[in-house]
Amino acid sequence: MKLKANQRNSMMSRSALPVRRFRNIVLLMIALVAVGILVVSQNQNLVHSTFTTGYVLLGSFVLLTAFNMRKRIPSLAQLGSAAFWMQLHIYVGLGTFVLFGFHVGWKIPNGGFEVFLTTLYLIVAVSGVYGLYATRSIPKKLTALNDEVIYERIPGFRKQLAGDARRLVLEACQHSDVLARFYRNRLAAYFERPRSIAYLASPNGRLRRQLMSEIDDLDRYLSDDQRSLSRQLGQMVKKKDDLDYHAAQQGRLKIWLFAHIGFTYSLLLVSILHGVIAHAFAGGLR
Amino acid sequence: MQGCIRLSEQFQTIRRPDRWDEPLDVGLTEQHVEALLTMEPFASMDAVKFPRRIPLSGILQNDCRILNLERGDIIVREGDYGSSAFLILSGEAIVSLRSLPPALLGRESKPKHSWTQAIAKLWGNSQHAEVRDYSGTTDSTDEVGARETADGQQVFLHDIPRVISAGQSVTLSAGEIFGELSALTRTSRSATVVAGSNTRVLEIRWQGFRDLMKSDPALRQHVDHLYRQNSLQSHLRETEILTNLPSEAISQVAAATKLETFGRFQWSHDFGKVQKEDIARRILSEPLIAEQGQPLDGLILIRNGFARLSRQHGDGHQTIAYLGKGQAFGLRELAHNWKTGQQRPALLSLRAVGYVDILKIPVDAVESLILPNVPAGELPPELPQQKSAGQHGKNTRRMAVREKSMDQGLLEFLVEQRFINGTQTMMIDLDRCTRCDDCVRACAATHDNNPRFIRHGKQHDNWMIANACMHCLDPVCMIGCPTGAISRDEESGSVTINDPTCIGCGTCANSCPYSNIQMVTINDRKGLPIVDQKSGDPIEKATKCDLCASTSHGPACQSACPHDALVRIDMTSSGVVADWTKQ
Repeated sequence: MKLKANQRNSMMSRSALPVRRFRNIVLLMIALVAVGILVVSQNQNLVHSTFTTGYVLLGSFVLLTAFNMRKRIPSLAQLGSAAFWMQLHIYVGLGTFVLFGFHVGWKIPNGGFEVFLTTLYLIVAVSGVYGLYATRSIPKKLTALNDEVIYERIPGFRKQLAGDARRLVLEACQHSDVLARFYRNRLAAYFERPRSIAYLASPNGRLRRQLMSEIDDLDRYLSDDQRSLSRQLGQMVKKKDDLDYHAAQQGRLKIWLFAHIGFTYSLLLVSILHGVIAHAFAGGLR
Repeated sequence: MQGCIRLSEQFQTIRRPDRWDEPLDVGLTEQHVEALLTMEPFASMDAVKFPRRIPLSGILQNDCRILNLERGDIIVREGDYGSSAFLILSGEAIVSLRSLPPALLGRESKPKHSWTQAIAKLWGNSQHAEVRDYSGTTDSTDEVGARETADGQQVFLHDIPRVISAGQSVTLSAGEIFGELSALTRTSRSATVVAGSNTRVLEIRWQGFRDLMKSDPALRQHVDHLYRQNSLQSHLRETEILTNLPSEAISQVAAATKLETFGRFQWSHDFGKVQKEDIARRILSEPLIAEQGQPLDGLILIRNGFARLSRQHGDGHQTIAYLGKGQAFGLRELAHNWKTGQQRPALLSLRAVGYVDILKIPVDAVESLILPNVPAGELPPELPQQKSAGQHGKNTRRMAVREKSMDQGLLEFLVEQRFINGTQTMMIDLDRCTRCDDCVRACAATHDNNPRFIRHGKQHDNWMIANACMHCLDPVCMIGCPTGAISRDEESGSVTINDPTCIGCGTCANSCPYSNIQMVTINDRKGLPIVDQKSGDPIEKATKCDLCASTSHGPACQSACPHDALVRIDMTSSGVVADWTKQ
């Protein structure tokens, strides 16, 4: 089977990743040093370097935003794989911290519009750094779970699991109501309602451990047959927790991306406006 | 005995399944068989030489069917995969010596979209699922037509001389056999054959043909001669160590080479059932080609299919690697024995995974014709000194050659699930995959908003093999397509379905052991189902990944993954997988 050139280029072996990282850091450093030299030389020649850094920064923002365009239009694969664009996005994004410093002269802006623009930039930049951390750490946490679940299917699985749990408890209450009472008091809400916002913000296994411990404590009140049903219920509790964990972590990645892209477009528009104002106050385009 | 009685009382009992439970043609009567027995080559066959369990009449009754064809009917298409050989009973068949245009064979290569077309397509994609537009298309081309028969749809050429000129064809007459090599060696048909007149052809299932060959020396010699004459030397040349052998030596090696087959040709049929068996028992039940610790009687070359290299480990067998087409087994041991004069046995066991065709070059031929012609630097390294009996396990571990190290669990997983068959398997690193579904969206955008894979599949550790067509080296899905709609692209090697000629029979989807072909009902632009003119039933089509054949940038899924998590990878080479998965 012959591989097309694009396909071959985007097949990055795991062992080659550190090499790529080193290469990209070196390239970023070279680019930043080049911009630094340009800024210093312009300042020495009494030329406004803010326009230079402003345009480089604006160009970087356009390039960073273009990544989203590339992702949305698969036919643009000729311009490079999404993985290539992702690398460009990460390193250009990191480079903007230094470019922004050059642009504002390493001072805190004092004008209302500038403060707004700086805040917007920091939100986008910090959310980008958080995204880098989240996209590297969350997949490993999800892989550690037993089952792989597609996000859109989670509500369906939850509903099915809640139904199974209810049926199991109804079966158990033919002989004793211990499990049924426990289900009504502790599990019904767990199976049928979504988790709290606190859980979505910081998913953890506290409730799962607590419920499993309570299920174990029920053993002394149950017959052998009912213990078997109680174990099955325990498995369902774990499964539900895994689904919730998937929903929370995958949801977090989706919300982050939505916010990051939204702020990025805002930043781009406000930056263009800032450029127009800057030129207007500097006597027009030079 | 009492135990047996108890068992039968305790469990549900069934009659043991028999080879001929499902005859190829239930309509074939004893009268047909008697008539066939009076015709050549069956009349000359000695029925006594056939085993009692597999009599000649039984083969004819169960492994054969008679095709009544009209002039122009296409019997086999070039490039198709099939598991049957054909014997002309009456009439004649025309073999085209030149490749026919793809459209005539039910295949149409998709035009590649330009940049502008690809971008414009984003706004032109359908709002409804599986939309097809048949306005402006006709049921058949000028040169090809289709008619319904009792066995399904029969495609035919309207005008044979217009398509196949006399100078570029060979005519076969009654008593001649064709299609046997591709059926026996599981390779694609090398030519298109059409009925030259009203013709009766006997289709013989591969298993039946094999048994006929076993019991009839004349047929065996005939097929053997054909294979040696047409294909064997080029197959030998595919092996690295034989590439530079002089032509004369290759001819002598070819003359000495034995052809052997292991495993079930139709392994895909019981793949699901086999998967449920205990892993240790499953490996031991795989047909043994060579056994660890036993002397080697020749150099084994894999001709087709896959074989598992394994080593005894405790009470079970541990997979060391897998071998595919063109790879050799036993060279290191044979070279060592030739150089040192020792008689060291096989270091590892070799077992058939599913179905394997091998070529065996006897030791004498290896030592006299091959090894003396290989430069000393290209010979494999000698085996280390043998240790005492107690250290044997450690010794074989050190001596066993691994192409490139792959995680042991991953290797076992890929072999067990037969993913090693895939040349473009979709492998996802779940430790890097953010589950963003950009791959699915890119696939859908390229295929008129219909994703052609599911980002879900079997997993081992952090590796997932997604439900996407793997474009297998041994494409079992291609066997039995009645219209030739599913085919392998000669240039790229990808397996694609030509939508207009797919009749929705589901043969390919049912044959795919990995469930990577989906049957879908198709709709018009308004989202309303397209139905059959006669029955009013919805029309179905087979769909699967086509590696984005209409684009020039390769599979969109891979190039859409921002996290280097998804790759389309050639699993037939363990080195490629090891390289990509190495952390």
